[in-house]
Amino acid sequence: MSNPNSNYFVATATIAAKLDYATKVAQRLSLTASNARALTLRAGQSAAGFRPLTDAIHRLSDITVSSSKKINTIAALLSKMSVEKYRADNAIKHFDAVYLNSKDSAYIATLDEVYKRTKERQKSLMTDYQKKIQQLTQELEAVEGELRSAAVLKTLCQVEASQAGALYQDALNNVAENVESIASKIKKQIVFSRRQVATLL
Amino acid sequence: MKAQKLYESKDHAWIVFGRDVDKPDAIIDTNQYMVVSKDNALLMDPGGIELFSAMLSAVIKEVPANKITHLFASHQDPDIISSLGLWDLALTESTLHSPWLWEGFIRHFGMQNIKYDGIPDEGSRLKLDDVSLEFIPAHYLHSSGNFNVYDPKAKILMSGDIGAALEEADAPMFVEDFDGHVQKMKMFHQRWMPSNKAKNDWVRRVRALDIEMMCPQHGRIFKGDDVKRFLDWFEALEVGLTMDKH
Repeated sequence: MSNPNSNYFVATATIAAKLDYATKVAQRLSLTASNARALTLRAGQSAAGFRPLTDAIHRLSDITVSSSKKINTIAALLSKMSVEKYRADNAIKHFDAVYLNSKDSAYIATLDEVYKRTKERQKSLMTDYQKKIQQLTQELEAVEGELRSAAVLKTLCQVEASQAGALYQDALNNVAENVESIASKIKKQIVFSRRQVATLL
Repeated sequence: MKAQKLYESKDHAWIVFGRDVDKPDAIIDTNQYMVVSKDNALLMDPGGIELFSAMLSAVIKEVPANKITHLFASHQDPDIISSLGLWDLALTESTLHSPWLWEGFIRHFGMQNIKYDGIPDEGSRLKLDDVSLEFIPAHYLHSSGNFNVYDPKAKILMSGDIGAALEEADAPMFVEDFDGHVQKMKMFHQRWMPSNKAKNDWVRRVRALDIEMMCPQHGRIFKGDDVKRFLDWFEALEVGLTMDKH
């Protein structure tokens, strides 16, 4: 952001797009959680151990969906702010050129107020931008932490699937695979975004 | 960017800005105009983003920045008004007068502070202190929503793209040899102006005005008898010719 030539508004738009994708993937986790619950009900006593795990999948799904939505909102706002900041930076660049070219102009001082106001706007946008980046970083770290539990959840699901009857074993194993696969896809977007966000600081 | 006074009286002045030597070669050269009255100034077709610094530098040699209370955009093209997003940050209190038709489009250039005053199809007037200016319809010449600015006291018509010529960046500001100038205007009008009917309607309307100077957005300014020569030439010219070839 300190480099006026850096394409920070493109970077923020990319992050927003990645996180929008993560939100959509997270919604699939919710579907998997519902399928798992329906499956355990059908399986009855043979999948009794699996039932508490479906609650954990639901919890992971709820947290991921709500965090992804929240993160996505912040990223979209950040993207909008960075375009506004770019406009202010661009105006300052043009005003600086005017000051340089029109030193002797009779009315050059009449630009001072506009220059000051645009500088203040630029500063205020910068402060808000930094705050939003910090907020985004914290949210990304939090959801990444939650997603770590997906690997444990997968192992526990596999263990419980092995206890279930042969009729439901494959379906339950499939749930376990789905949980990890979806979580892994979301995590990939989160890790990419966290790295990108770090470059904006 | 050169600035040249076209008219000066007790209550107002006309200034043309153009022939910017630092302009990138690939962008078309443009003329920008300003009417300065006692406490206000109207900047007409202020130009594209690429010209903004040069224009603002030139303008504040003439008037304080906060005196520019009015902007005019004859139509929506980028060479006319793509600098709007920067003027929007540079001007404290200003109104943009432009065809009502283009408001939703022009706002895409970035406009949060400047007010938009949509000019109705039949045209309207603007009072700038003691100066009365008229927005004259010039629809389909070339844009479907298009206006000229007429100053009856100074007898100046800012004609936008009408009368435009493709010129070198260092060309003189005024037409010196009308017949020689025709070749620089012909293709521009035949290709960019789509309608003979609209053209003839405009010629009829403008013939009724008392004009000493006709000021296009590209090329050279017509003075005195060259204004009539232009109207005669334009009336006889077939426009929208590309359509016949396809």
